Amino acid sequence: MEKFLLKNIENPASASLEVYLKVGGYESLNKALQMEPADIIAEVKAAGLRGRGGAGFPTGMKWDFASRDVKFPKYLICNADEGEPGTFKDRPILEKNPHLLIEGMVISAHALKSEMGYIYLRGEYPYAKIVLEKAIEEAYATGYLGDNIAGKGVGFHLSVHQGAGAYICGEETALIDSIEGRRGQPRIKPPFPVNVGAWGMPTIVNNVETLANIPLIVSIGAEKYAAIGNPECPGPKLFSVSCCVERPGVYELPMGTTLREIIYDHAGGVRGGRELKAVIPGGISTPVLTPDGIDCPMDFVNLPKRGSMLGSGAVMVFDDTVCLVKVCWRAMRFFEHESCGKCTPCREGTGWMRDILERIEGGFGREGDIELLQDIALSITGKTFCPLGDGAAGVVLGFIKNFSDEFMYHITNKKCMVNKDSQSAG
Amino acid sequence: MIKVTIDGRDVELENPVTVLEAAKQAGIIIPTLCYFEGLTPFGGCRLCLVEVEKLPKLQTSCTLMTADGMVVRTETDQIKAARRSVLEFLLINHPLDCPFCDKAGECDLQDLVARYGPEAGRFAEGKRRHPESFDDPIIVRNMERCVLCTRCVRMCNDLQASYSISVTGRGSHSFVEPFSGGKYNCEYCGNCLTVCPVGAIMSRLHRHTYRPWFVEKEIETVCGFCGVGCSMVLQMRENSIIRAIPRAEVGFNKGLLCVRGRFGYEYVESEAQLTTPLMRVDGELKQVSWEEAITFIARRLKEIKDAFGGRAIGAIASGRCTNEDNYMLQKFIRFVIGSNNIDSSARNYYAPAETYLESIFGQGITANLISGIANSDGVLVVGGDPTAINPILGLQIRASWRSGGKVIALGAPGGLKRFVAYELMPTPYSEEIVLSAIVGRLLKGKALSGENTAVEAKLRSLRIPSDEDMEVTGISPEDIARASDDLAGMATSVVVIGPDIIQRERASKNLFLLGAIAYLINARIFLLSERPNYQGVMDMGCLPDFLPGGRPVELEMFRHKIEDALGMKAPEDRGLTLFEMINEAETGGLKALYVMGENPLFNIPDSARVKKALGNLELLVVQDIHLTETAGIADVVLPATAWPEKEGTFTNLERRVQRVRKARRGKLASYGRDDWKIIADIAERFGMTRKYHRVEDVWEEIMHVSALHAGLGYEDIADGKAVWPYSGEPLRGMEGDFSVEGLEDLPHVQDSEKPYLMIERSLYHSGTFSRRSKALLSIYPEPYLMINPVLSERLGLAEGEKARISNERGVLELKVKLNKDVPDGQVLLSNTFEGFGAMGLIGFSTGPVIGSLYIRDNTVRVEKVLV
Amino acid sequence: MDIFEEIRALTEKYPDRRGALLPALYIAQEDAGWLSQEALERVSSALNLPQATVKGVATFYSMYKHRPMGRHLIQLCTNVACMIMGAESLVDFLKGKYGLEPGGTTGDGRFSLVIMECIGACDRAPAMLVDTDFHSDLTEGNIVEILEEYE
Ligand SMILES: Cc1cc2nc3c(=O)[nH]c(=O)nc-3n(C[C@H](O)[C@H](O)[C@H](O)COP(=O)(O)O)c2cc1C
Ligand code: SF4
Ligand code: SF4
Ligand code: SF4
Ligand code: SF4
Ligand code: FES
Ligand code: FES
Repeated sequence: MEKFLLKNIENPASASLEVYLKVGGYESLNKALQMEPADIIAEVKAAGLRGRGGAGFPTGMKWDFASRDVKFPKYLICNADEGEPGTFKDRPILEKNPHLLIEGMVISAHALKSEMGYIYLRGEYPYAKIVLEKAIEEAYATGYLGDNIAGKGVGFHLSVHQGAGAYICGEETALIDSIEGRRGQPRIKPPFPVNVGAWGMPTIVNNVETLANIPLIVSIGAEKYAAIGNPECPGPKLFSVSCCVERPGVYELPMGTTLREIIYDHAGGVRGGRELKAVIPGGISTPVLTPDGIDCPMDFVNLPKRGSMLGSGAVMVFDDTVCLVKVCWRAMRFFEHESCGKCTPCREGTGWMRDILERIEGGFGREGDIELLQDIALSITGKTFCPLGDGAAGVVLGFIKNFSDEFMYHITNKKCMVNKDSQSAG
Repeated sequence: MIKVTIDGRDVELENPVTVLEAAKQAGIIIPTLCYFEGLTPFGGCRLCLVEVEKLPKLQTSCTLMTADGMVVRTETDQIKAARRSVLEFLLINHPLDCPFCDKAGECDLQDLVARYGPEAGRFAEGKRRHPESFDDPIIVRNMERCVLCTRCVRMCNDLQASYSISVTGRGSHSFVEPFSGGKYNCEYCGNCLTVCPVGAIMSRLHRHTYRPWFVEKEIETVCGFCGVGCSMVLQMRENSIIRAIPRAEVGFNKGLLCVRGRFGYEYVESEAQLTTPLMRVDGELKQVSWEEAITFIARRLKEIKDAFGGRAIGAIASGRCTNEDNYMLQKFIRFVIGSNNIDSSARNYYAPAETYLESIFGQGITANLISGIANSDGVLVVGGDPTAINPILGLQIRASWRSGGKVIALGAPGGLKRFVAYELMPTPYSEEIVLSAIVGRLLKGKALSGENTAVEAKLRSLRIPSDEDMEVTGISPEDIARASDDLAGMATSVVVIGPDIIQRERASKNLFLLGAIAYLINARIFLLSERPNYQGVMDMGCLPDFLPGGRPVELEMFRHKIEDALGMKAPEDRGLTLFEMINEAETGGLKALYVMGENPLFNIPDSARVKKALGNLELLVVQDIHLTETAGIADVVLPATAWPEKEGTFTNLERRVQRVRKARRGKLASYGRDDWKIIADIAERFGMTRKYHRVEDVWEEIMHVSALHAGLGYEDIADGKAVWPYSGEPLRGMEGDFSVEGLEDLPHVQDSEKPYLMIERSLYHSGTFSRRSKALLSIYPEPYLMINPVLSERLGLAEGEKARISNERGVLELKVKLNKDVPDGQVLLSNTFEGFGAMGLIGFSTGPVIGSLYIRDNTVRVEKVLV
Repeated sequence: MDIFEEIRALTEKYPDRRGALLPALYIAQEDAGWLSQEALERVSSALNLPQATVKGVATFYSMYKHRPMGRHLIQLCTNVACMIMGAESLVDFLKGKYGLEPGGTTGDGRFSLVIMECIGACDRAPAMLVDTDFHSDLTEGNIVEILEEYE
């Protein structure tokens, strides 16, 4: 497939405005500035673009809600928090193709009549900050940002707001709190950000990749766009593939490409030709799949049918050398560390589950631990304030469901099934 | 109309409310932990989960708004299981130390676990450890018990608006902390303690001395510290107050108290409490019997009256005493002794200001509801920090700001610092010019309504300062324009007047200007009051020129009415004010002074002069609970009962009459007696025939005598109905002119090289009482001189170092405290600590028009004390 | 430029000065390497925000440091991808080589080590940030080489 999101990134100077312009950069913007805002929204709706941040919410619909709100100013926020473990798909855009994002944001701002935008960039990406700020500066200097963009009387200002190490700030309402200078904890919904967001004003939060798709939609039109990949959720999609594959990396492929293709055709297969043991398809928060699930198309429609989710499209491949109890424990340590603490089940439950997993992994598992873990996870599921807690519970449930033997082995033999000599209970 | 079904019951709602509130209306109580009425919803604890038809997941009822047709279930098996697991989660990190926890017995978590389980937790890992913090003198923090409901933080931020605590950290490593991590250094309102559902934050005062089952009785009363008059409950064990708490359902303070009200009560149990009457024998105060003391007083008063006439006798009433006490003192002096020489420290600012404003706008002009301030769209504050002087009223101003109101403070905003859009900081004593300029600008923008012709006539001749005139004030014409335009734009505004603008030369002009602003922008006026019953003192006729009910003495018709009611006579002419009495005592015209619950030697400026004047008297009687400075020089000292030891009423600054109730007896039965009772005893010796057995008898007479209080029985008062205008009739149609000093000129503001000594009106103290409250002392233990960093640098005086301040009245050596909010050219000292009162170094006169105290000669030399 | 002024200047970017709090904390942290009480006080007064509020925010985010840090901050990821690719042995290695414990600082104040959650370099795991520089595909061999560049 021809690359659009990662077009030209092999060029070492791809981040510069000059190079970006050479490959047709900002042409979509020029086109969009001729269009009525409502028409752009209609186009995005017709294209069927669904948010790439994880939830897959139809972007056109979100924009429609926001544009119906009569309050101004409206804020457009790019979610570049990319905190989901295993995920690094926004990073090449941020570091190598920043003008694509800026172009997408200016078009979106025009469509949404927003005059102020922020890129909420995770603190762990200091280099991206430098690149983005330079690109923003260039865009201002050439009139792609400012009060009168491309001489069309459209105004949009953009700056980078750097996060500081809190995964939960990827959740859009927590992100808004964080931009406002608060502890980034999710807010009560409704009201939704499209009506009451940053500083109480209508606010549109979209993922980097989502916004980077906008210039393509404008340039080729909704119809052509909708023909890419799965028609139910079309478009190009970035997959970040990691762990036990030959060629880990970010791959731009049509939505709906199967896991098998991604792992074997693009990422070079399991490293050293080893046996595939398990795959997490969409970042650590999505339930793990067994090898018999790898023919599932990677999209918002098919993965849920297999008991998982597309999430951020972060494919984590585990071969037979990997101890899944340990992976599960490490994931839980992450959730415990990142639980914002607002709601009881997640705040207390993630730590409790981590405690138990740590015991099992260390060879101190007890009979009944698996059932206890499942029970705790079910007590969390559906009762937390935001999806982070559900995610944490889902991970445990997923591992136990698919790999209970391995957990049992740990408990009864007090050691690891994979690295049989590395663990022994004292 | 919204119709919802909750547990099969149909509920109809006028307005959309949360499911939780709707259920409550239907009598269904859903368990909660992080919810607290009045605080912004949080939705974190997950206890209030309910099932809603058509919604796949359980919903938190405290955050979910009702929608028409919603069907809700609140107690299904699924819900019970969810609640049980939430509680199990909470117990993971919660210690099982209920037997040692002072909260046990009134702990929400304990109650919820009892109701929903789990019987036994399955958590078998290590609990989070976090040592209990005793760094603060008032609040003990045990974060192992915290359930992170954030009620305390929301209380501190949303209602107290002090922003002193925060959740720190993240996830299960979150803790509630003040900035320092240890000591709170906050406003110490204790309102966070009220809302904590568990024993995570508790008052140190009550540590192990308070357990819910220790409470033997609860007495509903009002706070005795300031003119706001917050409702509170005193929880008693044996004869001791073990806790003072607010009740959300009772009183306009809606569950809030300030530091003084909540923690200040200890003075009543202080060791220093007087126990028996004292009489000066051979120059020394000796214990005597009540009989001896009363006989002596009656005899001496008779002798003095016979020799010099009733007018040689005067009395000082008390803003700390009840209406009944004050009424009795007034009756005694006026109708028994035959003297109108009765006044109180309300003369310092409150009484003359009110009288003057009423002479312009009519009786009741300052009677406005405190709770209305929060709903106003703008507040002008002049003459003091309401958040320190009248804290709960101050919170209302913060609330107004939080809901978008504009707050403009002239002078240092103090506790309103975060709540003003900009600061207007005039040079010392230039406020009159600033106010004139504001009036000038308002007049430009608006035609006069013609409603109050007297005011408008005066406004026409008011000198409006030019831009050049403004220079001395340090405030630019642009700032004036902005402030005035903001004021003009307010629709439901409030003007709050504090003591510092009244205790000024030309106070009448300041008050006239403030009144004029209120008139022009249609604002309600509030007068701050440092004492719980200044208003009552006035209403009871403890004024040289007004009878009970605010009827002028000099108007025969009114005098006769009261005389007829009592069957006794009062003198026709107005009597002496507080300051005139002091002058007369100095010059020998006044021979005897009866002081009830007041400490003029400390609370009136120029202590040395006051002491000399009072020393001249032939008889000085002081009735009080402690041996105050004034009692120390008295001929007879009578021990009175303190505020929680008596029955009666206070009238707060909004003119709400409220019941004060007896919660304890003095330590021994023979100790203090009620003030009114002591005075009635003495009056009997003069042949007063009316007998009073109970305090109700006194109140009945007040209802009879005061046209304002007619028909207002104790039952009505208890119902909270006693808000001005009472069922009695206010005085109306008091037409007449008023005068204003210096209407056509501007004051001469001079630069002083030496700083002005101003009175720090601290949140943590209230003069002679609070210096005996251990809790308040632990927050603010010793006197200090507050200066700003500029002065500190100039004098080479660092925080904590000693400064000497002096003028012709005396010398004090004090530790220095830096505060960048102290205006240039000023230093602050509170009037609290014995031997260190600010009043001692301040001179005074009285205003020719309104008769209030005005402070003068208050510059001081400040130097570093070299050690 | 004084950090006070720098922080004030930041407020321009936000409709409400509080928005500048996160960047302001970064500035203060850069200034001293960590956020002392004094630094938080300074931020609070520059932005006119309550001190407790500032502290609550500063302690929520794991990249703000509340203890003095070494001259160079090693932020080593040990999340799943990095763990699988050997990050744990690197932690042990750093302990052996520099006496550096997670969360600790070397005796000479040269390095501090902080364990990170995923830093978005899983394709080149294990990975770390040293100050603001990315280093990936770490091994016991190359990590020393890399660290030796930091004095
Ligand atoms: C715990 C949590 C973390 C999230 N992290 C991210 C993230 O890092 N990046 C992102 O774009 N969306 C993230 N999201 C999703 C956002 O809340 C939001 O749905 C998204 O930014 C919307 O953009 P989109 O519609 O373009 O996907 C997260 C959601 C949750 C619940
Ligand atoms: S589930 Fe609750 S505690 Fe966990 S991150 Fe979301 S709001 Fe915070
Ligand atoms: S005592 Fe009052 S000011 Fe202090 S932390 Fe509690 S609520 Fe805030
Ligand atoms: S201290 Fe009390 S009120 Fe505050 S969060 Fe903890 S449990 Fe809630
Ligand atoms: S505001 Fe006044 S009346 Fe209310 S608690 Fe405080 S001191 Fe008492
Ligand atoms: S009471 Fe509703 S979530 Fe806590
Ligand atoms: S897991 Fe280490 S960078 Fe992603």
